[in-house]
Amino acid sequence: MKKIENFIKHTFKDIPKEGKSEIIKTVTESLIEKVEDLMEKGLSEQESIDKAVIEFGTIEDFFDNTAKEEKKKKRIKTLNHYRNDLLFSVVGSIIIVSIILFINLNYAPTTLWFVIPSVAIIFWPLSILYNLLNKRESRKGEKDE
Amino acid sequence: MINSDIIRGHLESVILKLIIEKDMYGYEISNCITERTENSFKIKEATLYSIVSRLQKKDLIESYIGEKSHGGKRRYYKITLLGSAYYKAKLLEWKELKNTLETLLEDKS
Repeated sequence: MKKIENFIKHTFKDIPKEGKSEIIKTVTESLIEKVEDLMEKGLSEQESIDKAVIEFGTIEDFFDNTAKEEKKKKRIKTLNHYRNDLLFSVVGSIIIVSIILFINLNYAPTTLWFVIPSVAIIFWPLSILYNLLNKRESRKGEKDE
Repeated sequence: MINSDIIRGHLESVILKLIIEKDMYGYEISNCITERTENSFKIKEATLYSIVSRLQKKDLIESYIGEKSHGGKRRYYKITLLGSAYYKAKLLEWKELKNTLETLLEDKS
């Protein structure tokens, strides 16, 4: 029966702490009941344990509904974060570019060198926009599944 | 083999129905399902226990430790008043769904 205990512990090792020990306890208990029933039917202990473990399924079967919803929530959060990142980068780069523009016009109005660092800075919001679009696309893809 | 995604939403009602008939322990429920469907549907233990613990959290069933006919102790599940009311509501819902799908999917003769 130690094998069953270890199997369940291993299967549920990554679940959230809340309620974890209770889940492990009840599931182990039920599986041991199953093994006992199978042994009563005449299977050997090893066979019964193997059968119980094989027929148990996976952690995804256990958390089918709740896990999906939680994952979704998490993803929406990150999308919002990406939006904030984008806003931050746009505002940030506008400030930097306007400072550079001011220095340029103030000290060397004949050569417009501010364009060169501005091009470099524009890649900051661009890369974040790229990330945001990518995230959105992958989210759409999962919805279609 | 029936696609488990389709049946999943109704497994709660199925388990409630079995427990209403008589008090059962975990493996007995999964055994009963396999037997009644003549092997066309098998519930995975992982799915079963997650549903059972959900039902228990919602106070639709309760558990107690009982003796099996020969020897071993088992954790039996028993329906509550709330559970049987919930089952009745679910049954009506299912009948409605069945009728709707029937009219939509099958040829009228």
